[in-house]
Amino acid sequence: MAVQCAEPEKSVIQITTFSQQPIWDAGWRSDAVRKASGSGFVIRGKRIMTNAHVVSWARQILVRRYQDPRPYAARVRFIAHDCDLALLEVESDSFFNGLEPLDVGELPKVRSTVITYGYPAGGEQISYTRGVVSRIELQSYTHIGNRGYLAAQTDAAINPGNSGGPVIQEDKVVGVAFQGIPGLENTGFFIPPPLIQHFFKDIEDGTYDGFPQAGLRIVALQNPAYRLRLKLPDNDLGVRVDYIYPGVPKTKELMQEDDVLLQVGPYAVGSDGTILYQGNRVFVGAAFSEAQNGGLVPVRLWRQGQQMDVSLPVYVYREDRAEGNQYDVLPRYYVYGGLVFTPLNRDYLRTLGQNWFDAAGPELIYELFYRRQEAPQTARPEPIVLASVLSHAVNANLAVQGRTLVDKINGVRIEKLEDVIRAFESSPPQNQDVIEFLPDHTLECLDRAAVKQANAEILKTYGIPKDRRL
Amino acid sequence: MKTFCALLGALVFGFLAGEAGAAQSRSPWEHSVVTLEVTRKQYDYLQPWTKRVAHVQKTGTVIGPREILTTADSMADQTMIRLQKGGRGKWWPGELRWIDYHANLAVVSAAEAAFWKDLRPVPLAASVPGKGSVQLIRWRNGNLEIRKTEINRLIVKGGKLSFLEHLHLEIDSEINGTGWAEAIVSGSKLIGMVSSKEEHGCTVLPSSFIRSCLEARKTEPYRGLGYFDFVWQRAENPATLKHLKLVGEPRGVIVIDSRAKPSQAQVLKRHDIILQIDGFDIDTQGDYKDPAHGNLLLENLATRNKRAGDKIHIKIWRDGAGQGVLYELPPVEYSVDLVPEAVFDQEPEYLLMGGLLFQPLTEPYLQSWGNDWRRKAPFRLSYYKLEKPAPEKPSLVVLSLVLPDAHNLGYQDSRYLVVNKLNGRRVTRLADLLEAIKHPVEGFHILEFRDGDSMQRMVLDAGETEAATRRVLQRYGIEKDHVIASPPLVLKAGVASNGK
Repeated sequence: MAVQCAEPEKSVIQITTFSQQPIWDAGWRSDAVRKASGSGFVIRGKRIMTNAHVVSWARQILVRRYQDPRPYAARVRFIAHDCDLALLEVESDSFFNGLEPLDVGELPKVRSTVITYGYPAGGEQISYTRGVVSRIELQSYTHIGNRGYLAAQTDAAINPGNSGGPVIQEDKVVGVAFQGIPGLENTGFFIPPPLIQHFFKDIEDGTYDGFPQAGLRIVALQNPAYRLRLKLPDNDLGVRVDYIYPGVPKTKELMQEDDVLLQVGPYAVGSDGTILYQGNRVFVGAAFSEAQNGGLVPVRLWRQGQQMDVSLPVYVYREDRAEGNQYDVLPRYYVYGGLVFTPLNRDYLRTLGQNWFDAAGPELIYELFYRRQEAPQTARPEPIVLASVLSHAVNANLAVQGRTLVDKINGVRIEKLEDVIRAFESSPPQNQDVIEFLPDHTLECLDRAAVKQANAEILKTYGIPKDRRL
Repeated sequence: MKTFCALLGALVFGFLAGEAGAAQSRSPWEHSVVTLEVTRKQYDYLQPWTKRVAHVQKTGTVIGPREILTTADSMADQTMIRLQKGGRGKWWPGELRWIDYHANLAVVSAAEAAFWKDLRPVPLAASVPGKGSVQLIRWRNGNLEIRKTEINRLIVKGGKLSFLEHLHLEIDSEINGTGWAEAIVSGSKLIGMVSSKEEHGCTVLPSSFIRSCLEARKTEPYRGLGYFDFVWQRAENPATLKHLKLVGEPRGVIVIDSRAKPSQAQVLKRHDIILQIDGFDIDTQGDYKDPAHGNLLLENLATRNKRAGDKIHIKIWRDGAGQGVLYELPPVEYSVDLVPEAVFDQEPEYLLMGGLLFQPLTEPYLQSWGNDWRRKAPFRLSYYKLEKPAPEKPSLVVLSLVLPDAHNLGYQDSRYLVVNKLNGRRVTRLADLLEAIKHPVEGFHILEFRDGDSMQRMVLDAGETEAATRRVLQRYGIEKDHVIASPPLVLKAGVASNGK
């Protein structure tokens, strides 16, 4: 069936995904298969653009063309979890016959009208919603959970199923619909062209790296006394570097706390930490986000009363990946004597329920989200939790039952999951395995000989194919 | 017929009224239970310069000549106490004679001799039953309310005003409005006093605990309650006991941490097994067999006929052998925590500097976020509650609010930041700030905050700060730029006495 696509809707694709997510506190298991639908659109090169969250953890992806009942199998070619974008390939080339690719346009103006195309829940047919671009600023990207980038807000309804659909203005794509705010009607967000173009540029070498970060905490510099102390003119320019995050050695080398950013790239930096970005005042982070991984960002700064220029190399920041939602990599775990050890990360905490921040307890929250910044000398690269205890006679007397941080095993400080295995498997000869937990230094021991005998039986009883995934 | 009915009605009414009157006059408790009305200052820790007045009515029980026992709850910062007997009529001026917040006990009195006429002291029961029926007594709407209730259990747990764990009674009670020192009696004796109300019951301070505190009150100087500053875990895992080389049957509990102040000597070490305290064997769940009450948590041995400073023999197992140690009970103090649990009889401390409001980080401050403050208060502040004090960090000062002024332009949204230094000088108390203000650096006040996820530094023009402070005081209607307890609050917040 040949389809002539003169209108944008003909290039809008309905995507059905059958996905299966791992269970992060029992890493050898997966959730039930879930069916969800989203939207996408055809771009040049016989590819479909959509949101990363539409196709994450997909077991099968089916795509349908406008008013064409036939499903086609598709696969992910590139996926960018940080900016929630993905490119799909369709197994059958014939899918693209007669489909006109949509081009990506410029950042739309605030107050201009856009139309969102997609297949939202509640029907099978394509849906169009017209709206106005309300504002453009940095927003938290919920798919990754711990990143914020430029996003455009519109009053056009963006509902489940709209995700990945194009936002069109004058026949050009000016955004990819991606998220709303629960409980807030008529507020939707779309990923604007600068991010889409950054993604395209990033994958030119065949790999997606992600958005780099400068690793700076930036604070407004509006107090006259602080400006005077830094010998800075009392005007509206310049924002202060308050803190440099651990894990950005180049930034540490080239920049200092109390440096003042005067200009980043082509953008003058206001004293409130914003730049004028295509007519919108947005946080200066957007300027650093324009660079590719490993790229150099020209920075004009003020240090100790003098202006200087620095070319700051910026890299994708991976130190905090455990704080965000993770994809594509199955959970790491190790089971020993029925004790399930797994890294502490946001995905694990989310197994504690919708109210996971409260359910986790302050110790786990502090360990994951605060310690690295506040006490880097005591932080562990990969804090490990005892996620659960699979009941068996060998562990029946343990009082600790899970959700607990592991401090030491057989005297070995546990910095990552491999340490757990090493501590159990390579410890000096002794009759008991000794586990110490945080924060109270609770002590639990296992009879080593009994555990070694029981391990295989426990794995069999609980249907665990392997005792570890590293 | 009409006349007969009316007469019959009058007779019936007369009989009933007579019965009720007789019942009331027959109750000896109306001569021993009184009502207290406490007027007290109540503070808003989010605006520490503001005060309002609160009134509480509670129960008191006459326990001796000119002595009325009540709980310490809501007696702090009191400005007036009034007493009423008989459930109605005249209010008599009262005065606080003694108070121990950790024990949650207070004794009040009245100066006027006429008040004491017809009042009779009640003896405190020497022992407390662990089950059975008791009566709850209070004055309510002018009538003496005597309600039957059942004892659920004896339990060792923390009190309403203190982390200190000691013996309590739990009673089954759906009676509304309790929790305010209602008398719990059995026969002619007082067996306890209600300290708090839970969903389906009440917690009661038992007479045995009350007696020991009242006895201690007679000695000078008054020694408050002591506690065990070690943290222990159950020893129900035989493999753990084997690792600790315990010989014989599983028993005792394992020491895993300490709540002691950094300055306190450590008699017990991590991974000691506590086998016996004060002659009582400790089982693997941390219980001992109390001669009067059966199995109770070992914490009770710190208050069972013991006071702070007393030495207790503890038998431990260490490094594969048993040995005895002499453990001195440290005094229970609110300052044992980095974030003090309570502050009594002291208006909130604060310091205003150029519109920046600094306050000590205390639990009453965190409670400004409501009963659910552990969840609702800023996470980083509430997390300090779990941290221990250290010599370089005995307490914390927080920048809690910025009252906007030209002087602090750019900082208006900053709050909940814990101060590390001012002008290069370490800050752990407001007094440190007050001193550091005198030493600006090259004409600036340089504030440094503890590492966290918020701003780390602020700079103010030192030459303008004083004028800005005056301006802020005037604009926001604040009387004083600082209230700082002297001596430091943390030392004062323990056992307080008032005109004994």
